[in-house]
Amino acid sequence: MKPKVIIGVVAIIGFTSLLMYNFGNSISTYTNFKEAASKESAHVVGKWADAKPHGFSMETKKFSFHMKDRDGNVRKVVYAGSKPNNFERAEKLVVIGSLKNDVFYADEMLMKCPSKYNDANPSEFTKASEQ
Amino acid sequence: MLGFIGNVLLWSAFAASLAALIGYGWSARRNNDKLFRASNYLFALKGILVLAASGVLVHLILNHQFQYYYVFNYTSKDLQLKYLFSALWGGQEGSFMLWVLFSGVVGLFLMRFTREPYRKPVLFIVALNQVFLLSMVVGIDFGFMKLGASPFRTLAQEMPNAPFIQQNPDFVPSDGSGLNDLLKSPWMMIHPPILFLGFSMMTVPYAYAMSALWKKRYQEWVNPALPWTLAANLCLLTAIFLGGYWAYVTLSFGGYWAWDPVENASFVPWLFGIAGIHTMLIQRKSSTSQKASLIFAILAYIAVVYETFLTRSGILSDSSVHSFVDLGLYNQLLVFMAVIAGLGVGMMFYRYKELPKQDKESPLLSREFMTFSGAMILFLIGLVILLGTSSPVIGRLFVENPTPPEVSFYNEWTMPLAMIAAVLTVLGQYLFWKRYDAETLASALLMPLLITSAITLTNIIYVNVQDIYYMAYLFTAWFALVGNAFVMFRLARRQPKLIGGSMSHIGFALLLLGIIGSSVYNTDMLDQETRKYNQAVERGEVMGENGMPVQQKVEMVELKLNEPKLINSEYLLTFEGFTVDQGPRPGQQTYKIKVADPEGEWSPFYMYPVVYPMKKRSQAQNVEWSVEPDVSASFFSDIYLYVAGSSYVEDKNEEIEKAQQRNMRPAAAKMGSSQGAGERQQSNESSKPSLTLQRGQTKQVGRYKVHFKEFMQADTSNMPSNASIGVRSLLEITDTRTDSVVNVDPMFAVVKRQDGSYSYAPPVSIDSWNLTLQFSNVNPATGKITLEFQGIKTEPVEKAWVLISAEEKPFISIVWLGTFVLMVGFLVSIYRHASRPKSSH
Repeated sequence: MKPKVIIGVVAIIGFTSLLMYNFGNSISTYTNFKEAASKESAHVVGKWADAKPHGFSMETKKFSFHMKDRDGNVRKVVYAGSKPNNFERAEKLVVIGSLKNDVFYADEMLMKCPSKYNDANPSEFTKASEQ
Repeated sequence: MLGFIGNVLLWSAFAASLAALIGYGWSARRNNDKLFRASNYLFALKGILVLAASGVLVHLILNHQFQYYYVFNYTSKDLQLKYLFSALWGGQEGSFMLWVLFSGVVGLFLMRFTREPYRKPVLFIVALNQVFLLSMVVGIDFGFMKLGASPFRTLAQEMPNAPFIQQNPDFVPSDGSGLNDLLKSPWMMIHPPILFLGFSMMTVPYAYAMSALWKKRYQEWVNPALPWTLAANLCLLTAIFLGGYWAYVTLSFGGYWAWDPVENASFVPWLFGIAGIHTMLIQRKSSTSQKASLIFAILAYIAVVYETFLTRSGILSDSSVHSFVDLGLYNQLLVFMAVIAGLGVGMMFYRYKELPKQDKESPLLSREFMTFSGAMILFLIGLVILLGTSSPVIGRLFVENPTPPEVSFYNEWTMPLAMIAAVLTVLGQYLFWKRYDAETLASALLMPLLITSAITLTNIIYVNVQDIYYMAYLFTAWFALVGNAFVMFRLARRQPKLIGGSMSHIGFALLLLGIIGSSVYNTDMLDQETRKYNQAVERGEVMGENGMPVQQKVEMVELKLNEPKLINSEYLLTFEGFTVDQGPRPGQQTYKIKVADPEGEWSPFYMYPVVYPMKKRSQAQNVEWSVEPDVSASFFSDIYLYVAGSSYVEDKNEEIEKAQQRNMRPAAAKMGSSQGAGERQQSNESSKPSLTLQRGQTKQVGRYKVHFKEFMQADTSNMPSNASIGVRSLLEITDTRTDSVVNVDPMFAVVKRQDGSYSYAPPVSIDSWNLTLQFSNVNPATGKITLEFQGIKTEPVEKAWVLISAEEKPFISIVWLGTFVLMVGFLVSIYRHASRPKSSH
């Protein structure tokens, strides 16, 4: 084989393995609050537990609420910011941050909303008046 | 009925496209011109049928036929006409129709301008796409499987098991569920059509590449394919720009790019397309890189279809903020992707041995080598982004339930690649127009390098760059700018038609500079006090309510009405009040924020961030507030701010909560709960504070100041016929908390009837304050008037406040400038390559 081909193959293998290694490290898995306790940074999926107190604190300028993860654990979540757009509408929340002393500090929050592209919620129809 | 017509139109269009596909396939195989012409008619007929179906859909939308699911789901009665019309492509089904329409038009152009031997197979491939796209909207139920989701399906067909449908199958909702407020933006109106135009044109290089493989003619196809690829990329770039600009000025995440899968998905085809443009250029010039051109032309369209699959199959629903929900098209999309990818890759392998080989290697310092390397780098950037975007699929190799990669993954990989690309643009451009060896190239590049070094050094010192990595990045970006500028000016003097390439590269260099400026040097705008607090948080000195150290810093500033605050030691921000309006978004507040120079060296300006109740889902009991940031743009830096909270919104929420409790009270009373509390509340509410005022006097009631300015003769024309005296009082009422002023002129009249005289004093309401007042009496002797109020807020007077989240973003203007230069570069190249003589070989 020509040396050029060998260099090329080595370069491709090197690039790919480094890329995949880095990629593997930069993704994590969606988890629950229990497992999040042992992690530096966690993505927790859940629903807003709206029966529990929630609100924005003027003192710390943080929005806090309670979230129930997929396994039923409920924790207080403190989000670094004001209440995001679409918060109430979200059918699913993803909070990204870390759990300390049973409080989850979220630096980022994703809301999965029934957006324009999504199907309407059948329960809405009952509110529309009959003609 | 109309829906049925629409469906019939779509079915016929689908049948016509199938017939055209078979016709084209057969004619391409047998080289049968008669059959080809017949297929052209079928293809055109299909276009007309889809156009008619779109017309029917527009008609249904404009006439609010909410029994159709599509109309119900994407529109509502209060939608402005332009948004009603754009609902045609606002939903998933409609956007497929738009795509079919555009790619049909592209097909007509190809019919007219494509030469043999590619003509028939090219149209075969275009027709194949049409069949797949139409299959997504035909909505035929075969019993064992469903094909597509029709935009003409009714509510009853969509959700046959819903209780209200079972009660009454002919149920028609009185209003539709409407369009998300965030999407009511002119940018979002034109974004999808441009994107789908780009997708449609990206079919062309794929079709040409497949035809080249079919007809074993591997050289000439790039001549016609090149301008199409350029045009497709111009459209994609415009669409990406529109999406980014919309996100920047509408959403509150504070940027134009977030590496969201949906954004990436339109970026990857663009990168592959650009890679293809580069290899096509050298193939055209020197008949090399035939394989690479074929591969990139095929990959670019596979990327388009893969993107469609990712965003529309519901697979991204966890990782993207805005992906479609699966309409039951998952399998169909998978087949579409498999066929497009399988055909492309399969044909490539099938012909691989026959593909032209290069006799000799291109030397290192040649335009072929440099341009090809550039294409490879672009391809690698595309691959990295593709890998990141595919994390829900590929990430399973590493973990279960994978999350998308961190943003740093994208940045860390694309940055060094972009730096290499930046250097290659200069080398490639120099070598593209002239032959150099190492020595002559070095001397030619001496001047650009000197200038680059000087600029970079100034830049580093001026903005105090400390990171050596950023220094290197800046050097490569400036080098790309200066080097390509040299080439462009030299070309512009002799042959201005040829400057497309160097101009695009200048745009790319500007983008690199703008991106680093706006992302790395982005600063939060905070006051001194907040900064001190944040430093204390960093040291772990601030304790929260649970006795644990506070973890998060504060990134907002609280502004009290008319109390200026010094921000970043550079700006003096003052909250000067707000207005509430009843326009298209009733209840929208526009806040007035003054930005001034503490030294007074430049004249102050105002910014107007907005808060509004989301209309689509908000109900009286539960208002969801949404924000619209305001951006003050200038060449050097943008100030971006939005309102994160305000006293008005807080008051309003409290009011709503109270109203809700009041609604619940009767039920509570029935259950025998404390009656006394209810009564007390009642008596509290029934008390009507009143004021007696003389002309010119000002008195306070609750938190309002009432100034009685003047009497005025009332216009008697719209009063009861037997009214004797009619007078109005001109009042100026100020809310001391918000400092907003309202002028009212309540009326007082005396009406004579047989049984005596009555006073007639219609109450006047100030809706935004929920305040009602009545001009209940006037003393003719003293001129004193009596006013009665309802809904007076008595809580202690606290100054209005607003929470501002603001950032200073330097050089965003350079990002836009770079994009525009890139677009103009594309336009120049399209002009040049489309007008070039057809055979250059």
